[in-house]
Amino acid sequence: MSILAVDNLEVSARIGTARIPVVSGLGFTLQRGSVLGVVGESGAGKSMIGRAIAQILPQGFSVTGGLSFLGQDLIGMPAEQRRMLLGRDIAFVPQEPLSGLNPVLTIGAQIDEHLARLGIGAKRARRDYALDMLNAVRLPRPADILGKYAHQLSGGMCQRVLIAMAFASRPKLLIADEPTTALDVTTQSRIVELIRDLQRSEGTSVIFITHDLRLAADISDQVLVLYAGRLAEYGPAKEIFADAAHPYTRCLQLSNPSVHASRIGLYSLPDRMPGISALGSIAGCLFGPRCPNVIDACREKTPRAVSVGEGHDVACIRSDLTARIDPPLRQAIDKKPYGASLLTVESVSKTFSMTSGIFRRTNFQAVRNINFTLQQNEFVGIVGESGSGKSTVARLLCGLETATEGKLVLAGRDVTGGDKVSRQHQRAHIQMVFQDPQSALNPRRSVASIITQAMEAAGQATWRDRLAKAEALLHEVGLPSDAALRFPSELSGGQKQRVNIARALCRAPEILVADEIVSGLDVSVQAQLLNLLLRLRSERSFSMVLISHDLAVVRYLCDRVFVMHKGEFVEAGPTADVFDHPQHPYTESLLAAVPRDFVADAARRDRRNGISPADEIV
Amino acid sequence: MLTTIVPLIGRRLIASIFILLVVSVLLFLVLHVLPVDPAAMSMPPTATIAEIEAHRREMGMDQPLWDQYAIWLVKLLQGDLGTSIHFKRSVWGLIADALPATIELAFLSMLIATVFGIGGGLLLFASRGSYAEPAIDLVTIVLLSIPEFLWALFFILIFGVALNVLPFTGRLDADLRLPEGSNFLLLNALFSGQFAIFWNALKHMVLPCFALGIAFSPAIMRVLRSSLIDVYQDDYIHLARLRGVTETRILLGHALKNAILPTLSLMGVQFGFLFGGTLLVEVIFSYPGLGSVMVDAVRNADLPIIQAVGLAYCVVVLVINTVVDTLYLVLNPKLRAQ
Amino acid sequence: MLRSVFRSSRVLIGLTIVGILVVCAIFAPLIAPHDPNEQNLVSILLPPAWSEGGDPSFLLGTDSLGRDVLSRLIFGARVAMTVAVLASLGAMIVGAVLAYIAGYFGGRIDALIGRAVDVWMSFPPVILSLILMVGLGVGLRNVIFAIVAVDWTRFCRVIRSEVLVVRRKDYIAAAQLMGFSHPRVIVKEIVPATLPLLITLLSMEMGIAVIVEAILSFVGMSVSANTPAWGQMVADARQTIYEAPWNLFLPIFAIFLAVLGFNILGDGLRRTLDVRLIARGRT
Ligand SMILES: Nc1ncnc2c1ncn2[C@@H]1O[C@H](COP(=O)(O)OP(=O)(O)O)[C@@H](O)[C@H]1O
Ligand code: SF4
Ligand SMILES: [Mg+2]
Repeated sequence: MSILAVDNLEVSARIGTARIPVVSGLGFTLQRGSVLGVVGESGAGKSMIGRAIAQILPQGFSVTGGLSFLGQDLIGMPAEQRRMLLGRDIAFVPQEPLSGLNPVLTIGAQIDEHLARLGIGAKRARRDYALDMLNAVRLPRPADILGKYAHQLSGGMCQRVLIAMAFASRPKLLIADEPTTALDVTTQSRIVELIRDLQRSEGTSVIFITHDLRLAADISDQVLVLYAGRLAEYGPAKEIFADAAHPYTRCLQLSNPSVHASRIGLYSLPDRMPGISALGSIAGCLFGPRCPNVIDACREKTPRAVSVGEGHDVACIRSDLTARIDPPLRQAIDKKPYGASLLTVESVSKTFSMTSGIFRRTNFQAVRNINFTLQQNEFVGIVGESGSGKSTVARLLCGLETATEGKLVLAGRDVTGGDKVSRQHQRAHIQMVFQDPQSALNPRRSVASIITQAMEAAGQATWRDRLAKAEALLHEVGLPSDAALRFPSELSGGQKQRVNIARALCRAPEILVADEIVSGLDVSVQAQLLNLLLRLRSERSFSMVLISHDLAVVRYLCDRVFVMHKGEFVEAGPTADVFDHPQHPYTESLLAAVPRDFVADAARRDRRNGISPADEIV
Repeated sequence: MLTTIVPLIGRRLIASIFILLVVSVLLFLVLHVLPVDPAAMSMPPTATIAEIEAHRREMGMDQPLWDQYAIWLVKLLQGDLGTSIHFKRSVWGLIADALPATIELAFLSMLIATVFGIGGGLLLFASRGSYAEPAIDLVTIVLLSIPEFLWALFFILIFGVALNVLPFTGRLDADLRLPEGSNFLLLNALFSGQFAIFWNALKHMVLPCFALGIAFSPAIMRVLRSSLIDVYQDDYIHLARLRGVTETRILLGHALKNAILPTLSLMGVQFGFLFGGTLLVEVIFSYPGLGSVMVDAVRNADLPIIQAVGLAYCVVVLVINTVVDTLYLVLNPKLRAQ
Repeated sequence: MLRSVFRSSRVLIGLTIVGILVVCAIFAPLIAPHDPNEQNLVSILLPPAWSEGGDPSFLLGTDSLGRDVLSRLIFGARVAMTVAVLASLGAMIVGAVLAYIAGYFGGRIDALIGRAVDVWMSFPPVILSLILMVGLGVGLRNVIFAIVAVDWTRFCRVIRSEVLVVRRKDYIAAAQLMGFSHPRVIVKEIVPATLPLLITLLSMEMGIAVIVEAILSFVGMSVSANTPAWGQMVADARQTIYEAPWNLFLPIFAIFLAVLGFNILGDGLRRTLDVRLIARGRT
């Protein structure tokens, strides 16, 4: 019997007087014990599915269509009856584990509240049950954990607690909404494994929402690809992954870089997915404006989902041509000969001494004995988990922090001291692209004013000069010149990051330090930005220190890589060597965390492109 | 929990002592360096310059400032606050009489402010999104614009003069006598079984306490409302709902425990202000507390009293702050961990 | 943004109330029917003109010395408005400058300013201003000084914590990397970010200054006795509460109205200037 049957589901938002469908015409059934992966870019409506099932929607949203859980109509049933199902038969695992737990209640109190609601009467029995649950999710020393608060645990531990609570009632349906997105790579794979194990042993049906197609293919039986709230493709996971029938699915795959093969170009989808307000203005297939296979017929009417295999549906009128979409090969212009050595970092350490009050101090060594050099036109990567000290290295290089030990030589000048002249020297040669464009762009400045802030600092430029320069830079980073007078709030995440890059380029620095500049962005936008950086290097020539927790991104861009762990470089070398033959156990654990199935896929793609990993030129 | 809280409170107390020292220096400087001449002020206008000089010597004001401060501080530590110039009474005695009255007044007022503030905050929160919300919101701004002494006068006009249902001068009716013992009148009367006096004293406190309590509650309401709104954006509220927790339980069991934290730190500040607000309320209700003593002293330029009472206000505010901080620590595990 | 500010009904109501009071204050000699200190001992404690026993030449009646209540109210607005504007501006400048320095540079200077705020906050504002007035002696300039010296902490505390939030934004680091000096970063990046809060606080502080002045003049520690002030009028009327309760009501209402005007204005400004609220409204 099917656990969940969704038929022609529509979630619509009220904007002014109009009702705009955010999710539309969605249908699928979920069998007992099977896992459905839901994939799509952010804003595709993935989370809306979970919210529609619980009927807990943002203000002004409403649901129509068929939504039946074990034969009961979820939409029509009284709210109280639905509430009784939640947390019992239907359970949720959230995206942000740390904020999913109440910060002022102990873990024990929160589990206890949940168990009490499940009807476990005696306090002692609840405690025993809680301990069993925490054991089942492989948390060490469960008794201690019961007395702790969320902020005392890591993100992964919090997620385990939440998973334990979700499985406590042996639910029939589990909805996990990007349960690993906020976690470190190594933790991610363990959490996925845990959910899969529990799902198998309990026979739970799972809706696993993720933006990572690879992960979805790895864990799911069926995959549903959403685009702008509409079903693009639905079918058996392995089949979709091996043989995507919708151009969107295919493009997503091709825009995802790989840890194991760096020499294939990334497909970069133009533009971005339409937001709510733009939905009405697109005729026919919503993917049309970005689709490489689009023809006039696509614009005539919305394509219906048709079957292309057993249980495999695709909403595309030209799905037979999908397999012909190929990634671009990396061009020769990607590579530029290295020039002179620009930067030498010698045994640099950074110890923070935190003042609390006027007199008290505590010390914390964030970076320990770092060495490296950087040549002209060279891209090097620094990888490691969050908190390993990557960002501190970035800030040291830019002169936002001063090293407590060691030596920093930039373009022939020792800049370790951090005096005024050194700082000026640093500012002329190194610029930084910041991680979070939301925080990196002053919301009160126009784009042109942000980009040309360096000219403002220098002090002679007129506004007209600045505007001209801004437009030139915008053009370079692939933004229209009318963006110059807009404000950051009017830009999408990818566009903001381009502005961020343009600002760093304004003083034509020889070195860019880029700190996690693509994390949190969708793969399609990520591919756009990575290709942009390669193009810029070929056009203007600069070196880059790329900091990322995503090994694949580093593999794609960088020739050398440093693996950072607890403030130290534990492994260094050419990217291909390090990632294909890791020497340090920490590097191994990072690599092991990358979703499976992947090597095969990369090899298959390589074969198609006539390249084998051995061809890599370093 | 105790092991983490006790050192924190200890540190807080040490800081308070430091603050008190600085305050005492500041007080001393303000009253001795600034242009006013207390010796001249405390003499009749007909006094000659020689008489004033003599008086100045008598007050010890001919000595260097630091010596004067040192003498004052040493005496203070010995429990000698000096003698009132005007009343010719020990300042200790005056404060010991007045402080309990003010503390009773302030304590009841804080209770009222807390009840109204939290109750009102919950009501305000419940009204969010409704058609009445803008109107209710405007009412809170109107309430916010009425300081305690205006409430006091207003209550006197309505309940005292027009309706004549409640007394509005002093702590007791003139024909009743203060019972022996401490000046915590309510407690004293209650424990010695003098219920008539207790009842009478309570009636005298209704108007001043409500004036103070109501004046300081709108700020609490508004902060509670806005922090509840903030907290409701948080993931754990959403997740609790997805777990099937009822709305009532979400509000009382999850949201309120978080939203109370910013509210509490505001209450710490507000209660400091409230304690200062007792000054004028006491004057208006002829209530024999610290404020009445202070205002008399100010009118008579009675320096020893002004200094000592000023310090007394600080001590109480620091106690209030310490209590609120402790509560905050108890309720906020994040801070406790640091 | 400016347009939305003036479209807010709260801002308009607030501005109207404040505007009327400011006009009264500036043109008091022209508007007031009598000299506010002129005593008519034959017609003391007259009720308002429209009630029984009222005298049409004393529209709102007279006080216990036979002075015209309306004229005293109008002249009282002078003290109230002068103190409101100057004292709150002063408090804002002192408090905000210290807050920017403390929040931006952090470290010891921040700890020092923080301790100073702690010391100040251990005094109830009323008590501290009263003590200052004892030290300074009565007079308009001293009242303003006392309020500045007491209320700068209100700005300092709130602005400082806002500065700490802004300080952590990457665009501050970016501005430094672009070559902005520290003062320039403060003026061009941090001040604009805190401006909405500053304006809102300023408006609220004006209301507070009116209250503090009223309290001080109630106990006779504000302006000298021959300058009419609302607090004084309240204190006078308190003496004759049974004979002339309306005399108490009028200055109470004047104080309330002034504070209300500033508070509504402040709330309106907060709503229209608060970036977070704006962002919420847009999406
Ligand atoms: N609280 C909300 N208010 C208004 N629009 C929302 C809200 N939450 C989501 N949306 C809109 O609904 C659409 C689907 O969002 P969502 O389901 O969160 O996507 P996903 O989970 O795939 O990232 C998007 O266009 C998004 O902008
Ligand atoms: S229907 Fe046309 S536009 Fe849409 S995905 Fe297929 S080929 Fe592309
Ligand atoms: Mg989502």
